[in-house]
Amino acid sequence: MIKILIVDDEKPICDLIDMNLTAAGYSCVAVQDGLAAIDAVESNDFDLVLLDIMLPGADGYDVMEYIKPCKVPVIFISAKHEVKDRVKGLKLGADDYLVKPFDVTELLARVEAVLRRYNKADKKIVVGDVEIDTEARRVMRAGNPVPLTSKEFDLLMLFAENRNVALFRENLYERVWDDEYYANSRTLDLHVQRLRKKLGWEKNLVAVYKVGYRLEI
Amino acid sequence: MKFSRKLLLWTTIIIALTLGLSGYYFVNYVFRTSLNREIGQALDENSILRFAFETAALNVPVKYDLLQDSSVEQIASNLETGGQGTGRLLRLSDEGKTVLYASDGFETDDELLKTVQENQYSYRVIRLGDKYYIQTGSSVNALGRALHLETLRDVSQVFAERDMGFTVFRRLTVLMLLLDIGIMYFIASRLTQPIKLLMQATKEMASGDYGYRARQVSNDELGQLTQDFNHMSEALEQTIGQLEGEVQAREDFVGAFAHELKTPLTSIIGYADMLRSRKLDEEKSLLSANYIYTEGKRLETMSLRLLDIIVTKKEGIKPQKVQSEVFFEYLRSMFLPKEGMEFEFAYDQGVVWADVSLIQTVLVNLVDNACKASEAGGKIEVSGCAVQGGYRFTVRDFGIGIPAEELSKITQAFYMVDKSRSRSRNGAGLGLALCTEILAKHGSKLDIESTSGEGTVAGFILQEFENGAVRGEDFLNMQNAEKGVRHEEIDS
Repeated sequence: MIKILIVDDEKPICDLIDMNLTAAGYSCVAVQDGLAAIDAVESNDFDLVLLDIMLPGADGYDVMEYIKPCKVPVIFISAKHEVKDRVKGLKLGADDYLVKPFDVTELLARVEAVLRRYNKADKKIVVGDVEIDTEARRVMRAGNPVPLTSKEFDLLMLFAENRNVALFRENLYERVWDDEYYANSRTLDLHVQRLRKKLGWEKNLVAVYKVGYRLEI
Repeated sequence: MKFSRKLLLWTTIIIALTLGLSGYYFVNYVFRTSLNREIGQALDENSILRFAFETAALNVPVKYDLLQDSSVEQIASNLETGGQGTGRLLRLSDEGKTVLYASDGFETDDELLKTVQENQYSYRVIRLGDKYYIQTGSSVNALGRALHLETLRDVSQVFAERDMGFTVFRRLTVLMLLLDIGIMYFIASRLTQPIKLLMQATKEMASGDYGYRARQVSNDELGQLTQDFNHMSEALEQTIGQLEGEVQAREDFVGAFAHELKTPLTSIIGYADMLRSRKLDEEKSLLSANYIYTEGKRLETMSLRLLDIIVTKKEGIKPQKVQSEVFFEYLRSMFLPKEGMEFEFAYDQGVVWADVSLIQTVLVNLVDNACKASEAGGKIEVSGCAVQGGYRFTVRDFGIGIPAEELSKITQAFYMVDKSRSRSRNGAGLGLALCTEILAKHGSKLDIESTSGEGTVAGFILQEFENGAVRGEDFLNMQNAEKGVRHEEIDS
């Protein structure tokens, strides 16, 4: 199981990230100051560190400097939004920089992306009887390959990463089609219908009234 | 042209003029004196020759009543040779001014001859070829004849000396000028050095180095100017430093504000998103809702505090004459019902000039901070006493204290010494910033002394109500304060 260390001086934010990452299938440890973070990284093998910058004890940059030799991927999560802060974070060797307030789905996607870059992400995601090979972009259902278009595959990945989470139409559309969502577009619904049919998820991919869709497993 | 060059040029011109004129005058004066002496000698010579001629004429054997022309020639020839190689030149003419005898080389016109009068010497300076002569003339009476005697005296030497004098003086002038240019160059550059240093300093400052100071090298007006300039740049540097500090403080404030705003927003948005998009169990729903509530409250506290600060900054205060007792009564009513802390109030009577509600806010903040810093059951002393120039309020606690390196930052907005601790007690990090603002409006400031682990003393001085009678009373209070203050100790 992928182990993630969450470092943030705000308990509510630690809990928030913790809950979401745990729901997405990661194992999380949260600490609330810089020195504790260094201790934790030294004594445990983490696959990823989510690091705040303004921390008591030692600030995020110091922690980053210190844990750099451990070769643990790091994502900065900070309220500092200025370009110079982001550049500084990335130059220090962080793999990504996320500005507060952030969207949880974005956090999950970035975590996924960084883990994938380090080949730490699970290459196979299993959802019920559906098995997704994220590298080969191949989907098997009960051992039989299911042909999916590229957009259908991206959509499936989003649902698989956010199981039991209602995903908003706008969000889905923007993430898959990289485009602004138009209120009357039926493209998304069409793709969801195709997914349902191809994967036999008529009951699992439910429409949520006024929101979008949710994959229930 | 550079100032030092101008100085050099003008002194050189003046020195050249004065040297030239005085040299010309001096050489001429010497020349005149020599010439006059020569003239005197020439006239003397003339008169000697005339006397000698007359004497010789008397010795001529008397054949005729009149001196013959041949005798004249004879005597003149004798006189000329009697000069013994001194180059004596003479000429004798008769009554009709016809030349009877003339020495070799006596080749002048007869201009002088025409003017010769009886019993009177006359002379002139003439030039023959490249030589100068003094020509003298007189009349000679011998044996019934009235002859004219003229002599020539060579004075080329005097003229040559004058030319020599001019030449020497020209050389001397040139030499002196060169020397003068050298010395003046040195002096001018020394004199203008402060100006150069000042110029350098202005350039450095113009290019942004406000810490640059001109070196003072003299104690004259220029030295004074340098000093004044340095004073000015010091004032300038301070002002700029202050402005930079303010800009930095504003940037820090905006940064801190953004951070303080974003942190609760992140939680609120995140949890709300979870609640709306996910089927959560009851425990998690409650937790999320609670976080949204507390973080929302935190935003509310922060916005209210900020509003307080902004309002205090923008609006004036309405000060009035207040008995110091009012504040302590208020604090007592505010904090005594609070359980778990031990309060001690001790104060002198006094009248201060203050906006009551604002100063109450300051005191409540200070006492609140003291409570936050203290363990449950800790003791907090609030005291007031008249001091020189005002009335001092002090809040003392025996809690965790503030580390020395944090002491200067604690009045900054959003600064919290121990975030998790002050968060858990609903702090926004704005209390002391507000206090500072209010006290600034009262012409006062907060002073805080603290030792980590031993406690903190925070205090400020308010101006007394300005009235002679009140002052006198307070003076009495000050004396009474030492004898025994009203003491109250309340345990809660």
